Amino acid sequence: MLRDVADWIERLFGLDPATFAYSWITNAVVIGIVALMAFVFIAIFAGPVTWWERRIAARMMSRIGPNRVGPQGVLQWLADGIKNFLKEDLVPAAADGPLFKFAPYLVFGGFMATFVVLPFGANLIAADLDVGLLYLLAITGLVVIGMLMAGWSSNNKWALFGGIRSAAQLVSYEIPSAFSLMAVVLAAGTMSMQGIIKAQGAWPWEWFLFRNPFLFVAFFTSLTSSIAEGNRTPFDLPEGESELVAGYHVEYSGMRFLWFMFAEWGNLWVLSSLATVCFLGGWQIPFVSPADIAASTGLAFWGWQALTFAVFATKASLLVAFVIQVRWTLPRLRVDQLMITCWKYLVPLALFCLSGVLVLLWAVEEKGALDWALRGVSMAAGLVLAVASFRKTRASYMADRDLYRRMEGKELWYPPFRLP
Amino acid sequence: MTFAEITQRIGAAFPDGVEVVEDTLLDPAVRVRADSAHAVCRFLRDDPDLYMDSLRVITAVDRPPDAIDVVWHLLSMRHRHTLVLKARVPRDAADIATVSDIWASANWFEREQYDLMGVNFTGHPNLRRLMMPVDWVGHPLRKDYERPASYHGIPTSRSDVTPVTHAEIPQHLPKAETTDGLMRLNMGPHHPATHGVLNFLLETDGEIVRHAEPDVGYLHRGIEKIAEMNTYAGTMPYTDRVDYLGGMFTNQGWAIACERLLGIEVPRRAEFCRIIACELNRIASHLVGTGSMAMDLGAYTPFIHWLRERESINDLMERICGARLTYTYMRIGGVARDIDAATLEQTLKWLDHFEPICAEFDRLITGNEIFVHRLANVAVLTKEDAMSFSIVGPNLRASGVKWDLRRDEPYSIYPELDFEVPVGLGWRGTVGDSYDRLIVRLFEIRECIKILRQAIAMIPDGEIRAKVPRILKPAANEAYGRVEAPRGEAGFYVTSDGTDKPWRVRIRTGCFTAMPVIEHLSPGLMIADIVALIGSLDVIAPEVDR
Repeated sequence: MLRDVADWIERLFGLDPATFAYSWITNAVVIGIVALMAFVFIAIFAGPVTWWERRIAARMMSRIGPNRVGPQGVLQWLADGIKNFLKEDLVPAAADGPLFKFAPYLVFGGFMATFVVLPFGANLIAADLDVGLLYLLAITGLVVIGMLMAGWSSNNKWALFGGIRSAAQLVSYEIPSAFSLMAVVLAAGTMSMQGIIKAQGAWPWEWFLFRNPFLFVAFFTSLTSSIAEGNRTPFDLPEGESELVAGYHVEYSGMRFLWFMFAEWGNLWVLSSLATVCFLGGWQIPFVSPADIAASTGLAFWGWQALTFAVFATKASLLVAFVIQVRWTLPRLRVDQLMITCWKYLVPLALFCLSGVLVLLWAVEEKGALDWALRGVSMAAGLVLAVASFRKTRASYMADRDLYRRMEGKELWYPPFRLP
Repeated sequence: MTFAEITQRIGAAFPDGVEVVEDTLLDPAVRVRADSAHAVCRFLRDDPDLYMDSLRVITAVDRPPDAIDVVWHLLSMRHRHTLVLKARVPRDAADIATVSDIWASANWFEREQYDLMGVNFTGHPNLRRLMMPVDWVGHPLRKDYERPASYHGIPTSRSDVTPVTHAEIPQHLPKAETTDGLMRLNMGPHHPATHGVLNFLLETDGEIVRHAEPDVGYLHRGIEKIAEMNTYAGTMPYTDRVDYLGGMFTNQGWAIACERLLGIEVPRRAEFCRIIACELNRIASHLVGTGSMAMDLGAYTPFIHWLRERESINDLMERICGARLTYTYMRIGGVARDIDAATLEQTLKWLDHFEPICAEFDRLITGNEIFVHRLANVAVLTKEDAMSFSIVGPNLRASGVKWDLRRDEPYSIYPELDFEVPVGLGWRGTVGDSYDRLIVRLFEIRECIKILRQAIAMIPDGEIRAKVPRILKPAANEAYGRVEAPRGEAGFYVTSDGTDKPWRVRIRTGCFTAMPVIEHLSPGLMIADIVALIGSLDVIAPEVDR
């Protein structure tokens, strides 16, 4: 498809493919198209996921949630977006104008730039960089600068608190996050995102999550640090409503405010797809090897792309749902507890996992008996966790149901997995 | 000790100190000479047989043309006796020594009386206006006070409101250069964690708070002054507004004070109606208190679950008295209307539903490790401090003092009911920490359920209101009526003068004494702990400011 675009440019401008101008124009147009695609994708992800989150939260709180705009309220995000577009863009008189106006774009830019290396399917990736993971970890640093800039330039002490908290928090949690992802890099032998996926397989016992107990733990340290970097409860200190009113974006209104929110909810996709890539086998489909997909052509090729995307999106969305549930379950940590969690627990744990993976790489032969034993142990641990949480959920639901039956003398009006 | 014995003891210790013994009053009082009041107070606090460890309230009563009475309501929790102490100061030079060095709670009581009545408490460490703006002129509760027509160009009366084209906005003082490296921060009056319009002036060193000074008065409506302009019965609706989460209790406090003045016996069924309504209200208030505490710490879900239950209570309240928030259910001599059998049935049914829900709340948040770590050992209020600051209600009990007016100074039908008084035991940390204050409230909810079940089972038939004259004109006297409200003692000190309007009304609320504690406990806490502390003390602005 991109080839067609290049040909079209060649015909339009009458440029020789060998010239410098030709390559520049082609690159610019192609990059523009890809960027637009990523933007549109994240817009139609981040928007509905706000509705989704609000419905899940409502269900957890035994209320109904937004259900007015569109069927079951699915268009609520459009209404919110339009409202925010129409709002006045306020800049406080004493704020540092240029910085204040620029900060949301920096946050949004830092977040959007991760889409350069995030895969969506077998061949659906903007650029499969050799240093993909490193690039991703590095580029998210822009978000910190943006938040700090917003907090400082607002000339509001609460915003400053939020900015400084977010700087401290994001910089700290980069470290366990990077360590646990480095364990994955060691296991995969590459930093390329597609390379990491291809180093795993489609079946759970081929995923890095269940490769060995160290990577199993690394998954949780990585996910915890990702949630912390995404400023979500229990780590939402930079914008903790009851403490800092709204944190670093307290003075923002209208569209500029929306950029922050956009990045925050879009970031849900980034953190879940990162975990999917590194631990959950990415877009791999059982019985189909990546080589087969690469060799296919025409309609079959696009069919495989759609299928791999569906697999990837399903895994990522389940993780998104998990992160949302965590947010509406836990209270917020205090700032010193936040730092203790990071430096005293997560960093040593991630380092431990990293060195454990190193030792196993050296000591255990791949697909040998010991390797399979380690995979078995990890899968058993996963199974125990899954069964325990299922039993707990079921017990809560049953208690709820019995209570309702006793109170009202009739059955609960919602089955367990239906939105009210 | 009886009043006579106490009087004798004071007389023995201060031979020329006691001026008059006013034992014809409903609450007999001792009037001492103004210049020996401080010494008498210290004696009362320190004498092992008297041991007045708690100061209930300080009131100044205007006695034109030439005097002001300063009244101390004292209480000994150890010996369970009370005393009303008075001193008379001249009106034009109303100077009296402060007792804030004896009881810490006197600090704010005296500031308020200075502000509203113009009594100058000499030796007070910080005698500034509390409720009114700092540049306000005059003392509003004096009988000859005339309200200024406008304040900074803003009219003070609604009758002559004209569109303000140019209001002279009071300017802040120019920001002083700070040299201590601390950040001055306004937490409030529009801060999500301050439950209404409270303001805290924080001095922070990064996240650590060095000093938090409560700044109150944003919700000061002058209910004490309004009561002086109203009849006894006409004041009842205003008492709802003293405490919007526990309107039944302020209703009952006012009713008890007035009934004592008038010598009215309340019919038995009415007492039961009152207790049923009150205990339902106590559950509702604690639901908001504990729920919003969880919300302040970032856990939204439990709060919404509690609010759902509170809706059911509101429905019951609507059936009982027709209102969902400001009840005005009580009348002097009874209640406004009877609770019918169907409502009682519905209440029992709701209790059956609600009892297991308490366990659900515990599953949701109480045992959560993050939650426990946020609250345990945070802002520990020791027993001694709690007594000195006249902390009342669940906050006092969380500090390990087993004092509940329902049990220790029983009123209404409480002696017939069987219930426990939960105290803080340091459930997950130290006695008197924020977690204890939460747990005590959660236990109290369960005790309320017990009380409600008993009261509903025992409710007799009969009248719901005593025969009360149409126009209430109590003889000149004084009475102090108090109930155990969700936030502690709600006391009404009423002085009558033989007319149909009270001469002076003084309202003592739990939140008013809880506020200075925040200043006392704040040094060294983090900003997030301040939020937890405010939440755990369950302070609400209208109760502080009235």
